[in-house]
Amino acid sequence: MTTADFLTLIQASTLSHAISKSNHLLIAGFQVFHVMGFVLLLAALVLISLRLLGLILTQQTVPEVAGQALRLVWSGLALAVGSGVLMFIGSPKHYFYNPAFEVKMVLLLAAILVQALLFRKVAHTDHPNPWLARASVALSLGFWFAVSMAGRAIGFV
Amino acid sequence: MPTIADIANAIEATPIGTAIAESRYAFPIIEGTHLIALSVSVGLIFLTDLRLMGLFLRQIPAASVIHGLRPYVLCGFALVFISGGLLFWAEAAEVIASPAWVFKFAFIGLAGLNAAYFEFVISRRPGALSPERAKLPRGVKFAGLASLAIWTLVIICGRLIAYLPHWS
Repeated sequence: MTTADFLTLIQASTLSHAISKSNHLLIAGFQVFHVMGFVLLLAALVLISLRLLGLILTQQTVPEVAGQALRLVWSGLALAVGSGVLMFIGSPKHYFYNPAFEVKMVLLLAAILVQALLFRKVAHTDHPNPWLARASVALSLGFWFAVSMAGRAIGFV
Repeated sequence: MPTIADIANAIEATPIGTAIAESRYAFPIIEGTHLIALSVSVGLIFLTDLRLMGLFLRQIPAASVIHGLRPYVLCGFALVFISGGLLFWAEAAEVIASPAWVFKFAFIGLAGLNAAYFEFVISRRPGALSPERAKLPRGVKFAGLASLAIWTLVIICGRLIAYLPHWS
């Protein structure tokens, strides 16, 4: 089965029809959850980053600040991905063949890998190496900012 | 006498307004900046609200969270207002016709009043944010909940501008 067949299969599904044929305010609702999820993710990430850089809450250790915030990062991601998947199911071909969407998915994968393999571990360390902390912050925020920029571009290409 | 629509049309027709609206890259880049900046400013306000409600970072004094995050919230807002102002410049006539835009600004005003009331009245009550208290007073918790709800409405209205272009 080719990719095009697979996309056709998704497009022919009941769920896809239900989403694409419904009132356009349903998509607007998904968009709202998509943005709210991203806001939560990025806010929690910025909070941990500011602590890693030693700019806020220096009376507390890095893990004390980061513990709950890391869970918020994953909750925000779950909300954004969940609503994003529903939008994709609604019009799979429209998104799949959009170059900005393709770029966004590659950047998203990179951002998640940085989060899982580097940022999360540094944020669980009591006294992380300052340069490692700075590099994690730069990589992580850089990728997430790029994901949002590519996401905004989807509607324009 | 010019109507509000006339003024909006005039703003949009200025060279900068037209340049942003017609540029292939400027508009999406400004929108992306608006989104990132609001995630920092409103996002950090959400985290502060959750702290006031006793749901997040409970082991850290509320006053430390509020004062530590304040400069970053304000920097984020500066960028939100600049990027938002540029977006308005490019499509003033369209957005003022949208009920979502009108409600968005009404809710921003309400959020500002709520923040001012918290800053100048609630947080100045004796012991309001005292780190010795295990639980914050009810008024403080309610201020956090109100802020969380109002800013959520601002984001919902902002996203709906494109979907609700007219009143009817």
